[in-house]
Amino acid sequence: MTVAAQSFSSRPIAAVARGVALPLVLLLVWQAWASTLPANTRAPSPAQVARAFETLAIGGGLVGATLQSLGRVMLGFLIALVLGVSLGVLMGSSRRVSRNLDPIVEGFRPIAPMAILPIAILWFGAGTPAALSIVAYAAFFPLLLNTIHGVSRVDRKLLQAARTMGLPLHARILRVVLPAALPSIMLGARLAMGVAWTAIIAAELAVGAKSGGGSSGGLGQMMFVFYAYSIDLNNIVVCMIVVGVVALLIDRLFRVAERRLMPWRI
Amino acid sequence: MSATPSASAALKMDQATTDVGGGAAQTGDRARSGRGAASPGGVPGWLARIDFTPLRSFAILLLVWQGVAVWTASPIQLPTPLRVGAAFLDLAAEGEITEHALVSVTRLVVSLAIAVVLAVPLGFLMGLNRKIDAFVDPLIELLRPISGIAWIPLALFIFGIGDVLPVFIMVYVAFFALLLNTISGVRSVDPKLIAAARTMGVARPMILAKVVAPAALPAIVVGFRLAFAGAWAAIVAAELIGAPNGLGFAIEWYRELLMSPKVFAFILVIAVIGYVCDLGLRALQRRLTPWVDEAGHSS
Repeated sequence: MTVAAQSFSSRPIAAVARGVALPLVLLLVWQAWASTLPANTRAPSPAQVARAFETLAIGGGLVGATLQSLGRVMLGFLIALVLGVSLGVLMGSSRRVSRNLDPIVEGFRPIAPMAILPIAILWFGAGTPAALSIVAYAAFFPLLLNTIHGVSRVDRKLLQAARTMGLPLHARILRVVLPAALPSIMLGARLAMGVAWTAIIAAELAVGAKSGGGSSGGLGQMMFVFYAYSIDLNNIVVCMIVVGVVALLIDRLFRVAERRLMPWRI
Repeated sequence: MSATPSASAALKMDQATTDVGGGAAQTGDRARSGRGAASPGGVPGWLARIDFTPLRSFAILLLVWQGVAVWTASPIQLPTPLRVGAAFLDLAAEGEITEHALVSVTRLVVSLAIAVVLAVPLGFLMGLNRKIDAFVDPLIELLRPISGIAWIPLALFIFGIGDVLPVFIMVYVAFFALLLNTISGVRSVDPKLIAAARTMGVARPMILAKVVAPAALPAIVVGFRLAFAGAWAAIVAAELIGAPNGLGFAIEWYRELLMSPKVFAFILVIAVIGYVCDLGLRALQRRLTPWVDEAGHSS
């Protein structure tokens, strides 16, 4: 084997080693620091977190809580998808509608989803509907704005051609406008799913915090119970890691879907 | 009435659009003309040029809200806009709005300042030096998916309820937006510009200050706007759970007391501050980087 080939083959390994180095060092420092503490410490350590993950994952309710949160995100996302895309098509294709509705959209946009939570609790109580409405509200704006952007940039000539050929309105929307706006809508969907996942954790946390460990359930609620009742920081760190992993998976899934649905865009 | 040329033009445009009335035709000048300005008769030019559409939209929204609130007749769940307005004036008169808003805005400013100090230099380092980037980037990518909100329980245990928790959460949220945009801004600098400066014997600190920094500025400004938006959304969650004051605390406090008009009034404050800050940042963006559009692309 020549020297050049050797260095070429070792390069990816070096890159991986470099990438792993800093996280690994930090983990080791964290573990070393934790092992200097007295045995009855509450401070989390990597080894304890791994053990906590095992017990929580097997019969500890972690899977159920994660699925419950994910189910809420999906349902809220679907509501936002239907509302956001249909309103987006309307606002993107009619200047009059967008001119009249735009001020209201811009007026609501700076209101954080969490600011809506107290109202949602007043309206729906501390259960799933309150969490759902927060998620739908959070996911609505990225979907709406990106749909408007995509629809308003649809090639006018395509629309005129479709109209000349006598395509009815619903067919023009389904066959011309939506496919042309799909890249934007998909981007909006990916962003919306990201904020929806953040919002559900926030909503469950706050509902858990404010209804005395009430009936919300889900991953966020689980975290709050570990904070407020059992004060188990290892379990909290496990939940945080799950939050991160799920967010990463959602993001990757949407990127793959974007490539599959629109292979003409890299 | 002596109509200046511009005023008569505006009036003509107004008449043209009122002629179209409720019809389906839409033209470009319609977007610019003040269609809501009503009577084309003796309106002064400056008044005719103001776009009243937002006002009309909000008026309709308020009317619908009033109607629904009266119809549902459940003042705790949906107070009428009039009662919310009265609560707003009460709170403003008692100074409660200024008090909580000041607390929240101070936390916001402090967090954004800390985030800038941490993220921008690190972004320059990572953008300019591939080795540092290769070491640090994986750690960033590991932490980034964990939303700031998810840190709240752990941060509650470490910092307790108070000022530090919201600031920590906001710094965390703002950090990533700023860092990633700074890195991509620094990387987008045309290498030929750097090469040219180097050929002319410009010293490295000078290249950084005069070539790299200005070229990376648009992306950094966009990052700052994103950081603000993220932080402003996170502050409500952080204060709602872990602070003894601030706007997020106030809405939840009055929710527990079932004083809905005050809840709505504070939500209004959150919306207005967020909106005004965004307007200010857009203006700052136009001032600092006039050669790019709002998304940071040069046009």
